[in-house]
Amino acid sequence: MSQGHKVTGKSMERLLEVKNLKVDFQLEKQLIHAVMGVDLSVNKNETVVLAGESGSGKTITALALTRILPPNASIVSGEIIFKGNNILDFNPKQMSGVRGKNIAYVFQEPTSYLNPVYTIGDQIAEVIILHQKLQRREAQARARELLEQVKINDLDRVLTSYPHQLSGGMNQRVFIAMSLACQPDLLIADEPTTSLDVTIEAQILKLLLELKEKLGFSLLFITHNLAIARKISHRVYVMYQGKVVEEALTSEIFDHPKHFHTQELIAAYQKIGKI
Amino acid sequence: MIKYIYKRLLGMIPVLLGITIISFVIIHLAPGKPTTLDQAMNPKVSPEIRLRLAKLYGLDKPLAVQYLEWTKRLLRFDLGRSFSDNRPVKDKILERIPLTVSINSLSLIFVFLVAIPMGIKASLKPGRGFDNFSTFLSFILFAMPTFWLALLLMQFFCITLGWLPISGIKSLDFEYFSLGRKVWDVAWHLILPVFVSSLGSLAVISRYMRSSMMEALTQPYIYTAWAKGLSQRQVVYKHALRNASLPIVTIIGLSIPGLLGGSVIFESIFALPGLGRLFYEAVMMRDYPLIMAEVVLGAVLTMAGNLIADISYAYVDPRIRYK
Amino acid sequence: MLMLIRGSAINEMRKNPYLIVGIIIIGILSLAAILAPLVSPYDPSLIDSQGLLMPPSPKHWLGTDSLGRDLFSRLVYGSRISLSIGIIAMGIATFLGLLLGAWAGFYGKFSDTLIMRFADIMLCFPTFFLILAVVAILEPSIYNIMIIIGLTSWMGPARLIRGEILSLKEREFIQAERALGATDARIIIRHLIPNAIGPVLVNATLGIAGAILLESGLSFLGLGVQPPIPSWGNILIESKSTLGIAWWITLFPGLAILVTILGFNFIAEGLKKVIG
Repeated sequence: MSQGHKVTGKSMERLLEVKNLKVDFQLEKQLIHAVMGVDLSVNKNETVVLAGESGSGKTITALALTRILPPNASIVSGEIIFKGNNILDFNPKQMSGVRGKNIAYVFQEPTSYLNPVYTIGDQIAEVIILHQKLQRREAQARARELLEQVKINDLDRVLTSYPHQLSGGMNQRVFIAMSLACQPDLLIADEPTTSLDVTIEAQILKLLLELKEKLGFSLLFITHNLAIARKISHRVYVMYQGKVVEEALTSEIFDHPKHFHTQELIAAYQKIGKI
Repeated sequence: MIKYIYKRLLGMIPVLLGITIISFVIIHLAPGKPTTLDQAMNPKVSPEIRLRLAKLYGLDKPLAVQYLEWTKRLLRFDLGRSFSDNRPVKDKILERIPLTVSINSLSLIFVFLVAIPMGIKASLKPGRGFDNFSTFLSFILFAMPTFWLALLLMQFFCITLGWLPISGIKSLDFEYFSLGRKVWDVAWHLILPVFVSSLGSLAVISRYMRSSMMEALTQPYIYTAWAKGLSQRQVVYKHALRNASLPIVTIIGLSIPGLLGGSVIFESIFALPGLGRLFYEAVMMRDYPLIMAEVVLGAVLTMAGNLIADISYAYVDPRIRYK
Repeated sequence: MLMLIRGSAINEMRKNPYLIVGIIIIGILSLAAILAPLVSPYDPSLIDSQGLLMPPSPKHWLGTDSLGRDLFSRLVYGSRISLSIGIIAMGIATFLGLLLGAWAGFYGKFSDTLIMRFADIMLCFPTFFLILAVVAILEPSIYNIMIIIGLTSWMGPARLIRGEILSLKEREFIQAERALGATDARIIIRHLIPNAIGPVLVNATLGIAGAILLESGLSFLGLGVQPPIPSWGNILIESKSTLGIAWWITLFPGLAILVTILGFNFIAEGLKKVIG
């Protein structure tokens, strides 16, 4: 499933362009530079992987893209240009218009990222009502269709269930349905399969890619698992200690890794026999 | 959920038993028999009546038997007769319940209306102005003896300003008032007592709300809420608050013992004819049947409150309600 | 905890304003209580028939009551009563609680169920109701009050210590001690209790504050410390009849209670920070 043969780069339409992003964290008395000048870009219909170990700053970068950061973090400088506009200049209303509508997320641990006191149906309908101004009943109907799209069978039961009543894999499907509800241009998936069983992992990945083909969104996939990266992406960014240390086409990076950290990551997966 | 309720109800039985045992033990801690101590208060009581009382209360029988007799009567809601005026204890208690319940309910409502928004506001900007102010206020309220505050407020509002009545539940010429005026009169008399009795809980509940909200706001699903494009208002009030208020639901039930205990003091200060004042009068007059009845009642109400608290929580949290 | 005793703790102190302020307040209070005869300008029961209900003045710093007794001196002697009742009552409660809680936590199963059930039942009684009922039967006196408050407050420390012991029981160093043949008592006293003592101390501090509040409430109702022995609570009895006439009788005793409770609460807050 290697996408290496598809030529990407400046000839394609640029969806997202990040320049020199810096994010700082305030911890007690210490100021931590979590992201230190990151450049990255995503083109239309591309799958880009952001790879790195935990602590490399990849999740913060991902969250920063829609300015959803913990209260003690702040974007210090840089530009985040989405569809031609620097969203760092957007006011809260404009940001609300982008989140969930143009850019959506899938997170690592779906059950804890879903609100435990609302039903699945309500949570999906919420984002539809917000951006598409439908009535509750119509939104619920639409939610039902979305669940069908992610290959969930027991539709009515799932719609009226609470997150704790469903499995991790099921919740991740729900989450994907929820994120794609308003047909975003960019889906940011932060380690979406890391907490799932291996067999479920494969199913979810397959689902994601099928939906991407069908609906035509770009995918920014964050992972530390280079085996997955190789399988699904056009391009790979490797992050290490807050910086992007290597960027290359998938086809090149695995054969000719330039940075030592990239080599380490590849080696780690080769040892487990995954690549 | 039903199973949960059954289990809890079943668990209540040994506790009820324990309550009766301990109440019984307490009342018989007296060095002399209840009737002998009563002598000092009521020299008019002749030896015949004393003997009759002793027989009536079975005081000449062994303790275990007395306990069983007493418990049997309790189950039939026969609470005996008051030593002071020989009226049935049950009646005396029943006629006072409405007032105490009303005051405490109003006070709880007031607390919720004030403490919850306070706690939420403090949680949104921790460490800043409002939070520091409300923390400071909570500390003071928590440390303040409520009866003292009642006295101070009485001094200020009733005497210095003359805005509020100093005591009682109705004015002197209450009988001549129209219905509307009567209602207002009672309400006017209740303003200060309700306010005073709510202050202690105010501090506790607003702190609780604050920490509950702060906890909820750090949860993963809050990121999801933001990522969906919801406004700050929606994230805080629809997603965080709903979760943060789950434990608050239990607080209503758990406040009962505190409210009951508090009502003894401030009903005395404000001369309100409620359960608390009845208990105080009973204690002053060593009216043992009345004292015992109220002690058991207090414990049973507390237990009921705990039960309601637990069940409410189980109902409100979907994680418990649905398996 | 031991750090507080060593000199290098000064740095820790600076980061803990609650603890410092609390200790200062309670320290001053304790000194006043201990040195009462030296600190109070008058004998608290000295009646000055010339100066009934006098407002604060250079002669009587906080004024006099309706019997002409100096309020300041009465408050100082009252601090002895309040502090000693608070400390002893809480001492009894904590001792009992440690005993029962440690037993329940350590021996588990039946003892645990029995003791905890007992605690649950005791907790059903509104504290004030319980104490008042017992006072009605046993007649109010300082000693009775200390004991009663103590006997009705053991549940908190018991629960705490039981919880701590339950979690510490299975840790390795305890297993090691067992292997070395230590007796149960030794394990409990030498190892489990010292490790679990933190929260219990916080609870005890708050408990002293609570006990003082309880005593003042009781005394105010006439069922606590009996006059003429001065207690902040029973001095306030007079304020009911002098409302509007003698504001100082209402203000100062209450303020004393407030500041004392705050002091203990601050210490508890500071201790919480130390324990972490």
